Amino acid sequence: MATDGQKKVVVIGGGIAGMEAAAQLARMGYDTTIVEKQARTGGNVANWDHLFPEGRLAGEVVQQLYQKLSPVRIITGSSVKKADMLEGQYILTLADGSVLTTDALVVSTGFRTFDAHRKEEYGYGIYDRVITSADLEGMLNEHQPLFPGRHKGPRRVAFIHCVGSRDEKVGNRYCSKACCAMAVKQASKVKELYPDAEVYCFYMDLRMFDRRYEQMYLDAQAKSGVNFIRGRLSEASEDLQGRLVIKAEDTLMSKPLKMTVDMLVLMVGMEPASGARSVAEMLKIPVGHDGFFNATNELLEANCSGTPGVFLAGTCTGPKTIPETIADARAAATAADAYLRKKS
Amino acid sequence: MFRERFSYDPLVLPFLLGLIFIVTYLALGAIRMIKNLPAEDKIRLGKSFFSKQILLSIREIFNECLLHLRIFKKNPVLGYMHMSIALGWFMMIVLAHVEVKLYAPSRFNLPYYPIFFRYFVRETQETLDGAVFFFLMDFFLLMVLSGVGIAMYKRFNSKATGLRRTTRLKWNDRIALYALWSIFPLRLLAESFTSGISGGSFLTRGFGMVFETFVSNDLHVRPTWWAYSLALGTFFFTLPFSRFMHIPTEMLLILFRNAGIKHRTTGTGIAQTEIYSCSRCGICIDACQMVSAARLENKATVYFIRELREGGRHNAWDMASACLMCRRCVEACPVKIESTLIRSALRQDWKMLRREPLSFLPVNHTGPARVIYFAGCMSHLTPGIEQSMVRIFEKTGTDFTFMDREGGICCGRPMMLAGETRAARELIDRNKKIILHSGADTLVTSCPICYRVFAEEYQLPLKVQHHSQFILQMMEQGKISPEFREGTRVVYHDPCELGRNSGIYEEPRKVIAAMARIEPVAEEREMGLCCGGHVGSISLTHHQRRRIAVQACNILLAPSPDAIVTACPLCKKTLMDATAEVPVVDIAQMVDNPELLRKHPNPVLQ
Repeated sequence: MATDGQKKVVVIGGGIAGMEAAAQLARMGYDTTIVEKQARTGGNVANWDHLFPEGRLAGEVVQQLYQKLSPVRIITGSSVKKADMLEGQYILTLADGSVLTTDALVVSTGFRTFDAHRKEEYGYGIYDRVITSADLEGMLNEHQPLFPGRHKGPRRVAFIHCVGSRDEKVGNRYCSKACCAMAVKQASKVKELYPDAEVYCFYMDLRMFDRRYEQMYLDAQAKSGVNFIRGRLSEASEDLQGRLVIKAEDTLMSKPLKMTVDMLVLMVGMEPASGARSVAEMLKIPVGHDGFFNATNELLEANCSGTPGVFLAGTCTGPKTIPETIADARAAATAADAYLRKKS
Repeated sequence: MFRERFSYDPLVLPFLLGLIFIVTYLALGAIRMIKNLPAEDKIRLGKSFFSKQILLSIREIFNECLLHLRIFKKNPVLGYMHMSIALGWFMMIVLAHVEVKLYAPSRFNLPYYPIFFRYFVRETQETLDGAVFFFLMDFFLLMVLSGVGIAMYKRFNSKATGLRRTTRLKWNDRIALYALWSIFPLRLLAESFTSGISGGSFLTRGFGMVFETFVSNDLHVRPTWWAYSLALGTFFFTLPFSRFMHIPTEMLLILFRNAGIKHRTTGTGIAQTEIYSCSRCGICIDACQMVSAARLENKATVYFIRELREGGRHNAWDMASACLMCRRCVEACPVKIESTLIRSALRQDWKMLRREPLSFLPVNHTGPARVIYFAGCMSHLTPGIEQSMVRIFEKTGTDFTFMDREGGICCGRPMMLAGETRAARELIDRNKKIILHSGADTLVTSCPICYRVFAEEYQLPLKVQHHSQFILQMMEQGKISPEFREGTRVVYHDPCELGRNSGIYEEPRKVIAAMARIEPVAEEREMGLCCGGHVGSISLTHHQRRRIAVQACNILLAPSPDAIVTACPLCKKTLMDATAEVPVVDIAQMVDNPELLRKHPNPVLQ
C-alpha cells in the first residue's frame, strides 16, 4: 500500500471519530493506520442499538463508516505503549512489541461510560433491577427481554439523568451532553415495548439543544406518555418483594417523593477513556482537571494538541454527540493534512 | 536596725505591684469561675476537696503544670522546653524562700524579699554559706535559660522542634512573651553583677568574673536589678491578657475535671476554664486536616479558642461550624481541651434554625426480635453494607428485625452536631419507642455516627453494638468463620467516631486479622485520619472535604495495600470517591464477600 514518499498517519482509537478521521486521511492520500485497543472498531457506538434523533440503527452507522476504511490498515487488540520523536517522525511501540513510524498522529481515544458502582446509593451492582443506559442499549441491541421470566411487563420504569455528570461528589462537574436526548429516546422505546408501563424520567434540567431534540422530547410526553419529574434521585433500596424503592424530591412541586419501580435505568455520563491519561503523558497532551484533553485553542484550534503533529478528534476533548464527533474528526483530518503539507 | 529587719528599695516596686495585681486578678477570676458553675457542679467541686480526688489533682498538677509529661510524650523537645521553664522557675522560687528561711530567719519576710535576696544581701553584708544553694540556684537558672533558648529558636524555626506550624501571635501575646523571655537573661546579668559580693556559683560567678575584666560591675548592679524587676512586673501585668493565663488556669481546670464537672455551655464553667487553659502551643494546628489538607489555617482549634476568648463570637461561630468534629486536635492537645464539646455548645447557643415540631414523623414499630438492626442513613447511601449485614444475620441464624429498612427516622446525631438539641431529643424519643417496643436485647448499627448517639444519649436498657463488634462476637461463637486469604494485604482506616470517639479499635482489627494481613498506617488508632466526610461540619465545601479525603487516601495507600478496609459507611463513601487505586470495603462487606478484597486494576493507569 505504502508508496515511496507517501506520508504516514497513525490514528489512536478506532471509535467513530478515529474511523472517520482515518477515512478522510486515506482519501487525502495518506498511508493511514488505526490502532484500536479492543478487538473491533466502532467504539462505544457499536454497543448501541438505535440512535437519536431519528432512530437510525447504530450497527448500520458503524458499518457505513467501516466501508470507507478499505485503504486503512487496522490493528485491533493492541495499544501504543511508547512514543519517541525522531527527526520529525514518531516511532511508536505497540503492546505486542511491533514498531510503527509515522509523520502525524490523530488521537481519538474517546470516552468510557461512568462506572455506576461509584454511586453506590443508586444500587448498581447491588440490586439486579438497576441497570445503566449502556446496559439497556446492549439489551435492546441483542433483543434480550428486559424482564426475563415475567409474563406481564413492568409496572413502572424510572430513568435517572446525570449519573456521573454534573456531580461534584464524584468529581465530574461537566455535562455529558448526549444523555438527556438518549434518555428521552430510551424512555420512549421502553414505552413502545411496554405500553402499559409507567415511565418516568428524573432530570435536573433537560438539555435539548439540537433542532430535532425538542420535538423528540415533546413527542415523548404527548405521544409516548413518558412522565418527566425535575429532581435528583437520593437513594434506591429494595423492598421485601424485590422491587426498587426510590427516593427523590420533586423540585417543581417542592415535595419529597417515594416511588416503587420495577427497573431503574441510570443515564451514565462520559468520562475520558481509561487509556487516555497514559496517551496524554506519552504525547505531552495537556489534560484538564476533568481528565479530558485540552486543545491549544478551544475555539479556533480545537483539534491541535500543542505537540507538533499530534491532533485530537472526538470525545477525548469532551463529551460530544455523534454528528459533532464526525465533524470534529473531519476537522482533525484537515488539521493533520495542513501540518503534513507544510512539513514537506 | 530597721534596715536589718526590713529591706526595701524602690526597684522592687514593679515586681511587687505586678505580684499584687496578678494575685488579686487570679483570686477574683477563680472565684468568678467557681461562682459561674451550676449549683450541682459547685457541690461536686466542694466534695472533691475532701476526697482522694484532691490527691489525684495535686499529683496531676505536679505532672502537667511542672513536669509537662503529656507534652513530653507528644514531643520530647517541646516537653523539655516547657518543663525546664516551669520546673526551673518553680525551683528557683522555692529555693529562694528556703534560703531566706535558713539564712535570714529574723527578717520580716515581704513577698519580694526572697526574689531580690541576692540584691539585699549585698547591702546587709550578711554572709551566705552553703555552696549547695548557690549551685542549685545557678543550675535551675541554667535550666530555665536552656528552655528559653529553645523557645526563642522555635519561634523562628518551628520545624526544628518538630512542629510544622507554630501559632501566629497577636501583640498582647508578644509583649508577654518578650517579657518572659527577658526575665531570665536579666536575672543572670543581675546576679552576675552582684556575685562578687553576695556570692554565686558556676554560672553567675563565672559571668561575674568575665564581666569584671571589662566593666565595673558595681555600676551595673542597680540598672540590671531594675530591669529584672520591670520584666517581672510587665509579665505579671500582661499575663491575664495573654496566652500565659494558661499557667494558672490549668490548675483550676485539673481541679474541675477531677471533680467530675461536665461540659454545658461555652460561657460558663469548665468550657470557660478550658478556653483560658489553652497555651496556644499550636500542636493542634498540625493535627488538623482542615489545615494540612484544605489549607484553612484560621480554622485550627488554637485560633478558635483564642477567638472565643478575645474576639467576636461571630468569627468563632464561623470557625465552629467548619469543624468536622473528628477530635484529632483533642487527642493531640497536651491540656486535653475538649474543643469539639465547646464547638457543640457554641452551635447550640447559636439559634440558627427555628424548627416546627417533628410530630409528622411516623413511629413504625418492628419486631419482635432478639436483635434490632439500625443501618442508618449513611448505610442507605452505601446499600452494599446493609445487604451484607442482612446476609450475615441470616447466615448466623440471628433473630433480627431491620428497623429502618424502609426509611426510618434519623438517629438524631446530625441534629445534635448542628446544635439542634431539642429536635434531636424528639428524634431520640421516637426511635427509643421503636427500639424498646421490639423487645430486642441488642441494638446493632452499621454507622459509628449513630452508634455514638445510641450509646451516649439514648440510655437504652439493652446492649448497643457496632456491627464490627457483632461480627467479632459471631466469629468467636463460631457462627461464621471466614477464611484467611494468604497474601492479601490491607490497611484499616479507623473511623473517627468508632475509634477515637468511642474507643473501639480492637474489634474491627481482630475481624480483619482473621481474613488478611493488616499493614500499619502512619496515622492510626488515636491519631486515625479524618476522611473529610463527617456530617459534623456545617460549612465545609465539597472541594475542601475532598482535599482531606485525598490526603487521607495518600497516607492509607502508602503501604500499597490491596484494599482499604473501614468500618463506617460515610468513611467508605468518602474514601471511595477519593481513590481509584484500590477498593474501599466495609468490614461487613469483607466478611460477607471476601472477593471484594481483590485489588482491582487502576483504570487510570490501565
